[in-house]
Amino acid sequence: MNTPDHDPEGLRPHSYDGIQEYDKRLPNWWLFTLYGAIIFSIGYWAYFHWTGHIQDGWVRVQGQIDALKLAAAGNSAAPEGRKLWEMSREPEVVAAGEKTFMSTCAACHGADLKGGIGQNLSDASWVHGGTPSEIYTTITQGVLDKGMPSWGPLLGAQRISELVAFVISKNPTIAEPSE
Amino acid sequence: MNTRIVEYNDRVVRQFVVASAFWGVVAMLAGVLIAGQMAFYQLNFGTPWLTFGRLRPLHTNAAIFAFVGNMIFAGVYHSTQRLTRTRLASDFLGALHFWGWQAIIVGAAITLPLGLTRGKEYAELIWPINIAVTVIWVVFAINFFWTLAVRNEKSLYVAIWFYIATIITVTMLYIVNHLQIPTSLLHSYPVFGGVQDALVQWWYGHNAVAFFLTTPILGIMYYYLPKAAERPVYSYRLSIVHFWSLVFIYIWAGPHHLLNTALPEWLQTLGMIFSLMLWAPSWGGMLNGLLTLRGAWDKLRTDPVLKFFAAGVTFYGMATFEGPLLAIRSVNALSHYTDWTIGHVHAGTLGWNSFMAAGMFYWLVPRLYNTRLHSTRLADLHFWTGMIGILLYVASMWVSGIAQGLMLGAVTPEGVLAYPNFIEAVTSTWAMLVTRMVGGAIFLAGFVAMFYNLLRTIRSGAPATSTIEVPIPSVPPREGLGLVRSFFNAPVLYCFLLMLFASLWGLGRGMLSIVAFVLMVETALAAMIHMSIAGARWSDWYERLLESWLPFSVLTFVAVAIGGMIQILPTVFLNQTLNEDGAWQRVYTPLELAGRDLYVREGCYTCHSQMIRSLVGDVLRYGPSGRIAESLYDFPYQWGSKRTGPDLERVGSKYPNVWHFQHLLDPRSTSPGSTMPNYPWLLRQKTDLAALESKISVQRRLGVPFPQRSGDEIVAESLAQGKGIAEDLAKSGIEIAPDREVIALIAYLQQLGKTTEAPNPRPAKNPGLAAELSGRR
Repeated sequence: MNTPDHDPEGLRPHSYDGIQEYDKRLPNWWLFTLYGAIIFSIGYWAYFHWTGHIQDGWVRVQGQIDALKLAAAGNSAAPEGRKLWEMSREPEVVAAGEKTFMSTCAACHGADLKGGIGQNLSDASWVHGGTPSEIYTTITQGVLDKGMPSWGPLLGAQRISELVAFVISKNPTIAEPSE
Repeated sequence: MNTRIVEYNDRVVRQFVVASAFWGVVAMLAGVLIAGQMAFYQLNFGTPWLTFGRLRPLHTNAAIFAFVGNMIFAGVYHSTQRLTRTRLASDFLGALHFWGWQAIIVGAAITLPLGLTRGKEYAELIWPINIAVTVIWVVFAINFFWTLAVRNEKSLYVAIWFYIATIITVTMLYIVNHLQIPTSLLHSYPVFGGVQDALVQWWYGHNAVAFFLTTPILGIMYYYLPKAAERPVYSYRLSIVHFWSLVFIYIWAGPHHLLNTALPEWLQTLGMIFSLMLWAPSWGGMLNGLLTLRGAWDKLRTDPVLKFFAAGVTFYGMATFEGPLLAIRSVNALSHYTDWTIGHVHAGTLGWNSFMAAGMFYWLVPRLYNTRLHSTRLADLHFWTGMIGILLYVASMWVSGIAQGLMLGAVTPEGVLAYPNFIEAVTSTWAMLVTRMVGGAIFLAGFVAMFYNLLRTIRSGAPATSTIEVPIPSVPPREGLGLVRSFFNAPVLYCFLLMLFASLWGLGRGMLSIVAFVLMVETALAAMIHMSIAGARWSDWYERLLESWLPFSVLTFVAVAIGGMIQILPTVFLNQTLNEDGAWQRVYTPLELAGRDLYVREGCYTCHSQMIRSLVGDVLRYGPSGRIAESLYDFPYQWGSKRTGPDLERVGSKYPNVWHFQHLLDPRSTSPGSTMPNYPWLLRQKTDLAALESKISVQRRLGVPFPQRSGDEIVAESLAQGKGIAEDLAKSGIEIAPDREVIALIAYLQQLGKTTEAPNPRPAKNPGLAAELSGRR
């Protein structure tokens, strides 16, 4: 870009309302970031789109979820009713369940478990079964037509077990499972 | 040689300066209030017109179009007259521009709190105001280009290039994103729906940042910074390279707002890689600003103008580094929908726009009023309070944004969410939200100090008359470059060929794309070799081009138009749903459509997204990721850009009607810790069922397969559906008439995520280019 009129590094003669311009060379590191980004972008496009390594997002995430489920399969088995009952006698477990209950369930079932939008959990009447295992199943699967979401995928087995333990500890009408 | 005296029109400049500072205070006041609402829901005051969903658009529109808009007009009018050594072409158009723009702002300040909105970010204003904006913007354009046409300085300085790019590009973006069909005097539907609307919206939204908040301010930097520093600009050739690369590349980057959504993958990739390539062109502007200060750094100690400019340009550099970072898919997976984005834009608006405005005002006002700045110490105080305010704001948003992103995406070894309750991400970042509000308030205090300082300065002086003596040319000036020599020139042809081959390579298949790739590389090599031989001739050609404003403007338009055409046209002209199997959006019932318009009116999209991204955390929390055909009939689309509350794409039937009723009346009754406002007026106000006939007829014209119904049938159908919901609520002891707004909104919320089978016959299965472009491989 050097014309004979002026020195390539020097001041351009023209002045705009008193403003003049040098014509300094572009800094090398700046050119490197410019060319580097362009070359990276060509490579990125070539790898993912030209050679077909791109996957639609919904396909990709389904694969990731399946892998997650597979890896977690051993951790998420439903505990026995007896085990849930025993958990309800452990203060730490009950406290953890209470915490989850207050943040997740109390809005519908009431902080005192006496119900509201959802059923009363503190008395002896159970619409979907009142044994520890049945309560566990109801929470996990939800009651979709009555507006209770299925909490299994959101909370997981550990937190649901704690919840059941908390409910048992608060409801004296729930009988100790025999087996 | 004969000369004549030209007197500049500085009256309009003075008006725009004062208006900008005034609206800046208003915009930031609204900002501090809505920042407070994020931490203390009580600040919504239980009134419709002060809720976050309505004030957030007011804040963004006021900051962008009122504060920065008026600042741009002041700077453009002032510097262009001097750089072209001529008076503004028309005083009348200048005055019309000023008063018209202020009337538009007042109109916006009235309509937005009333809930009159189009529901698209930074494009919320209703259609009559859109027309006014377009007319006034064209008035500005005419006055500007007319001034260029009668200029007394042949060559166009770099600041003018940026002004030209601004005016042309904003016109293009604004018109396309505001194509709409009115349903009444105050309401309309955009002509684009679903993914098309999302794409057009972010082509516009991202480039509102680029061509309204960036390029005009760069032009202003190129005039006022060397003026204040009394130093020559660092590098002319850097300004050429960064100008053309910036305006060409910026326009492509819009899809980075839609990463990991249902947008076709090829568009997401374009959005990401063009954002990365934008880093260097942006930093070119920063370098030319900062390096111009070489030899003048000592003045920073004493001159508040240079302090603000140096800090402003530095913030520009930081924000334009953070931008490409956030546009990387994996980083965006963490940052998107969180406060991090909010912090990012405020680093730009507070750090770059507001500081550059302050520098310009402190330099300009004493000169416009022929006096000295009232208080340099107060200006210093403004600088430091502004700095502390920005740092508190940005740092707290980094912390809360990253915390939100990590918490909402965290998964336990059991394969479930670590924080299943969305509210945990809200309550755990509360302290940061308060810090942000404090930072914003400190920044506002500094800005108010500036306003006071400027007013005192104005009172101490009197409007100055500024003149210049220009020669009257005895011979007609040399003709500029003709069209042929402007466009059929080696540099232009190389650029054209490069873009052609790059497009064919990227979008083509098989042999075509291999050949195109080889040609692309060869063209690049040929251009480099040719430049090393003929660089001097190219340089002369460019200098001639700078003397020809029209060809320069045409070339600028071509550079900014290409990106949008390649990204948007395919989804507009091709059937966007070729790639879908199965799920298809249901057509809304009239009542659901009425509820959707209420969702838009209340600005629910400012806090809730309707787009489950293809990320594990999103899918575990909200259900299967969103697909294109699920928002086909959404005019406007409501994918959202921020999750202050959870995503709602599949919230339908998740909770009973009574849950929604109580949640809308008092969100904390069902979600303890929620910061959502109460919406008691939805229980009092009646749904505007009469408007549905015209709304549905417009949607039919837009291609939504609503069945043909009369107005009476529509009202009867709506009331019947409303009655069903009211009866369900009555079972829980809630008495509510079926024609209330809350019923319509519940009807809408309860169908979110409901899909149907794809209609028969299916769109033609064409495996050719059409399928390619619509995203299926």
